[in-house]
Amino acid sequence: MHFEKVIFAFFIILALSLNFSFFVGDLDNPEHHHIFELACALVASLICTVMKFGDRSYFGSTVLASSLVAVLMLIATSTAWFFMDLFATQTAAMATISSLAGGALVANILSVILLIMETGQLRR
Amino acid sequence: MSDVFFLVLRRLRAPLILLICVYALATLGMTLIPGLDDSDQVYYLTVFQAFYFVSYMGTTIGFGELPYEFTNYQRAWVLVCIYTSVIAWLYAIGSVLRLLQDDTFLAAVSQHVFRRNIRRIDRGFYIICGYGETGSLVAQGLAALELKIVIVDINDERTRSLELESLKIEPIILNADITEPKTLIDAGINNPLCDGVIAVTESDHTNLKIAVAAKLVNPNVTVICRSEIEDEAKNMASFGTDVIVNPYLTFGRRLHLLCDNPQLHRVHTWFINQHSTEHIDERVRLKGLPKGKWIICGFGRFGKAVNHYLQRDEFEVVVVDPDPIKSFAPNNAVVGRGTEAETLIEAGIKDAAVVVAASDDDANNLSVLITARQLNPEIFTVGRVSREADHTLFVRAKCDYIMRGSQVVANEALTVISRPLVTKFLQYSNCLTQEDTNLLVDRICALSPNNDPITWRLQIDQQHAPAIVETLSQGIEITIRQICEHDDFPRNRAIPLLLLRDGMSHILPDQSQRLEPNDELLVCASREHTLLAQRLSHDIELVDTVINNNTHRIPLFRWLRRQRTA
Repeated sequence: MHFEKVIFAFFIILALSLNFSFFVGDLDNPEHHHIFELACALVASLICTVMKFGDRSYFGSTVLASSLVAVLMLIATSTAWFFMDLFATQTAAMATISSLAGGALVANILSVILLIMETGQLRR
Repeated sequence: MSDVFFLVLRRLRAPLILLICVYALATLGMTLIPGLDDSDQVYYLTVFQAFYFVSYMGTTIGFGELPYEFTNYQRAWVLVCIYTSVIAWLYAIGSVLRLLQDDTFLAAVSQHVFRRNIRRIDRGFYIICGYGETGSLVAQGLAALELKIVIVDINDERTRSLELESLKIEPIILNADITEPKTLIDAGINNPLCDGVIAVTESDHTNLKIAVAAKLVNPNVTVICRSEIEDEAKNMASFGTDVIVNPYLTFGRRLHLLCDNPQLHRVHTWFINQHSTEHIDERVRLKGLPKGKWIICGFGRFGKAVNHYLQRDEFEVVVVDPDPIKSFAPNNAVVGRGTEAETLIEAGIKDAAVVVAASDDDANNLSVLITARQLNPEIFTVGRVSREADHTLFVRAKCDYIMRGSQVVANEALTVISRPLVTKFLQYSNCLTQEDTNLLVDRICALSPNNDPITWRLQIDQQHAPAIVETLSQGIEITIRQICEHDDFPRNRAIPLLLLRDGMSHILPDQSQRLEPNDELLVCASREHTLLAQRLSHDIELVDTVINNNTHRIPLFRWLRRQRTA
């Protein structure tokens, strides 16, 4: 068992799960999306990114790239949340926020797929 | 770049993760703990407000409690947050500072700086391998010629002194093992601007390795090697090393020349030692060393080289060596160091003409020189200096001719690099007769009264001498005499030494010979004045004046001149 690998896998899957739990629900219903889930997803994604800093392996740099995308998307989501008042209606704002989070979710899914592929390669 | 960047990122992983965790926890706590607003209503900080508060709390502490005053529960949590965030920040800053002192990091940074410097080179450069006494002389000479140099030495203590030596052109320094081919590639041997590699490390074998690697990596590059052992020199030559300098054989040849033809030796000294003069007694320089009985103390590589050049009937060589059998000395060798009077007397110091202190120990050599002088005040002395610092002691001991291995190698290498025609001239000069040489020396002395002539190469091509090329293309003939001397410019005269035409060298060319495009002419002139040839090469008006006698003068001067001649 590789301790560093466990920690990294834990955080990347945590980021994916939190991201999903924020995203899931009606797209434009504010009651289905909680700010804490978003904050936690952002923190988990940030930690994932930092953990891949300076990794020169092929998979490592690709995971770094995709988690960077996830972090940027989540920051965009948080910014949209902050400027919620500027949107015409709350549902419109919520729809934007959720779809941005959905984008981050895709990046996080890709990260996990890459992680699984890397693990599969190690087996061989 | 990437090395340094990745190293920094990797080292910052742990402190950054810690900071993120501390901030996340602090923010979470702030949003969860209820507060009271002005009207004592329970309220919760939003995530944004909490993050804002935590941000300034961690760094400045003391912006006040926003948006309303905190309750004691909130303050208790803030207290915890303050201490943890301070510790996290200290840890992060500490790891950055530790990283800046880290050897791996510093090595990565210096490698990066070196690579960047190599990439930015914009002119021809030379790689000097080994920065010892020879390396430092070569570096000074090349810097004086305004050539860029890359110095490679494994020992950073030696190269550190370079910072104090304020060379004209800042050298690029690499501390690495030169015997690894990768180092040569790092030093830029594959760069099209690399003109040559100069291998002057202490060990012959290392020099050989450098020569082989350099020729295999880039066959077009010039390789100049120092070699003190014949076998290694032959080995180097077989790999196509361009120039191999053996200080002992070179100096042996010069000693031989000093006995045979002192005037030619003088010419050689003028032209080779342009960068640093060697110490030679005035009397010896003019008259040469006498033939007859020579005593060689120490039969090492230098002793053998001297002996090799003295194997003729006019010389009677006596070798003094502590172990003549081991060092393959001739049969009549005297056992001893030569530092004691008895040994020298046994070797026949009383009627000897010259004593050569040739051992590799400076103290012994000095002792030999002084003892020999005491026993025979008329004797000429030749001493070998191994450590550059001892040179002044040999000068004090009034040694007539001092051999400094590093200087011999440095001057040879610099001559080859900067004045290829001089090397050719010196090679061919051995076929000059005694009278020719005397005549040449007299002419040079007349030209340069303080015996400090310089050589200059005139290349007849569009780039170096546009004015002359243009005149030639008009069908006007120019002889060597015309560009070397003119009655109006008595101080700017030059003596033609060598004409290189179509790869053929003509030594001391006939003055009436005509110049042709693509000729190369080596001339010798006084150091103080600009050569006429140098002025002619770029000044088409001057060419018109000197060659075609079409005077370009200011009208007033023309009138004055007419008045004088009338």
